[in-house]
Amino acid sequence: MLEVQSLTIRTGTDTLVKDLSLDLVEGRLTCLIGPSGCGKSSVVKWLAGVLAPELQVQGRACLYRKTAVLPHRDIAYQPQQDTLFPWLTISENACVGLEIRGMTRRAAHQCVRDLFPTFGLQGHEDSFPDQLSGGMRQRAAFLRTIVHEARVLLLDEPFSALDAVTRLRMQGWLTDRLAERPRAVLMVTHDLYEATQMADRVLVMAGGPGRIAADIPITTPRADRSEATLAEIRSTLKSMLLKETT
Amino acid sequence: MMYLTYIYPALVVMSVFLGGWQGYVFLTDASPLVLPAPGDVLNGLWVERSEIGRHAVATLIVAAVGFSLSVIFAFAVSLILHFSGWLRRGMMPLLVASQTVPIVALAPLMVLWFGFGLLPKVLLVILVTFFPMVISLMSGYASLPRPFRDQLVSMGASRWAVYRRATLPSARTHFFSGLRISATYAIVATIFAEYAGARQGLGIYILSAKNNFRADLVLSAVLVSACLTLALLAAILVIERATGRRYRRAAHA
Repeated sequence: MLEVQSLTIRTGTDTLVKDLSLDLVEGRLTCLIGPSGCGKSSVVKWLAGVLAPELQVQGRACLYRKTAVLPHRDIAYQPQQDTLFPWLTISENACVGLEIRGMTRRAAHQCVRDLFPTFGLQGHEDSFPDQLSGGMRQRAAFLRTIVHEARVLLLDEPFSALDAVTRLRMQGWLTDRLAERPRAVLMVTHDLYEATQMADRVLVMAGGPGRIAADIPITTPRADRSEATLAEIRSTLKSMLLKETT
Repeated sequence: MMYLTYIYPALVVMSVFLGGWQGYVFLTDASPLVLPAPGDVLNGLWVERSEIGRHAVATLIVAAVGFSLSVIFAFAVSLILHFSGWLRRGMMPLLVASQTVPIVALAPLMVLWFGFGLLPKVLLVILVTFFPMVISLMSGYASLPRPFRDQLVSMGASRWAVYRRATLPSARTHFFSGLRISATYAIVATIFAEYAGARQGLGIYILSAKNNFRADLVLSAVLVSACLTLALLAAILVIERATGRRYRRAAHA
């Protein structure tokens, strides 16, 4: 569905990412893990069309086998922080993407209000972000990211700011939402538990310069994943990461 | 009750200041031509209330027109500087230089160029007051968190859409700080402009009172100008509070 072909990102003299290729498949959640500074976020930001302009980029992204101009309306991006505008209500925040894409304010509000129950935000349409808990804010941010029906989701450590319990809940909640409406998802994470619980496939990035060091599919359906199986995969991932950081 | 907490210290400080002034005049037996007592100033203000009021209205009109145009001008300049890095680099030195021109030197020239009407005074008010607003707007624009911008860009927002939806709202607090600083200059700048040449206004009244050795009336007019500035600041505070309930959340977030 989405292919990244021979991506190289340079900062003047340094090469952040070199000749990186990957593909995302609809209905599959791909986790991207790797040591800090290996270029995971740069890859995601490039796909989202928000990479710092001073960086030099070679390579291309193909969506449905056609070269995609980035940012692309079929690719949605959620950064680490929830980035809800504090001066807008949750409903207004959720409408931002739709309005930018040309929908009228009234139509956009109608569209998002229908989704509030699914996202567990019913009754909070007119609340402001600072009136919600961390988990609710994150769900509101997901609502804003998902509402315009992009086929590809880029999630840059979406749960890193949440406490352990909320994070577990949100992981389950997100995989349920993705099961309802399949999309191709690329999620950056540092958390091996999160990666093995949620992903259908884990890409391990190595640094200096950034490249894909391993591609590990997790074929067992999420519901059937036993702790023993996951522990084995985590152990493999851990040894790979340790090898890449030494 | 909360307002008393704010007003009480100001009242105490003001009372101590006025008491000290009155006491100094009483103890030194200072001539009213040189240093009138606060009571004399208030008395002069009461006696001349009609005349001072007429001049104060003229000053207020010039300051209001000049300050309003200054806000528009500051927004226009900040927009140009925000959207064009080339112009930002090109215009900044000129804008900074504009603030180094002594108003005492420029005011008579303005009158020479544009006459005794409204225009030279309004131009002087704009010149004096627009810069703090431009600088605070630019700081406000720069304060937009990068992830906010990235989020909008990834949604396909144009530069204008990013400005309208995130950059401008983020700059609101900064803008009002600049507005308050500028407001404190607006009345003073108007009086300076009137001083250089005008038919009416507090500047002309002060000049006339000074020439008649009426220090009490000079200080009466100064008191009125201070009250006008405080009224302007209060009006800005009211506007900020009335329009910004949701934006105060941004400051606390």
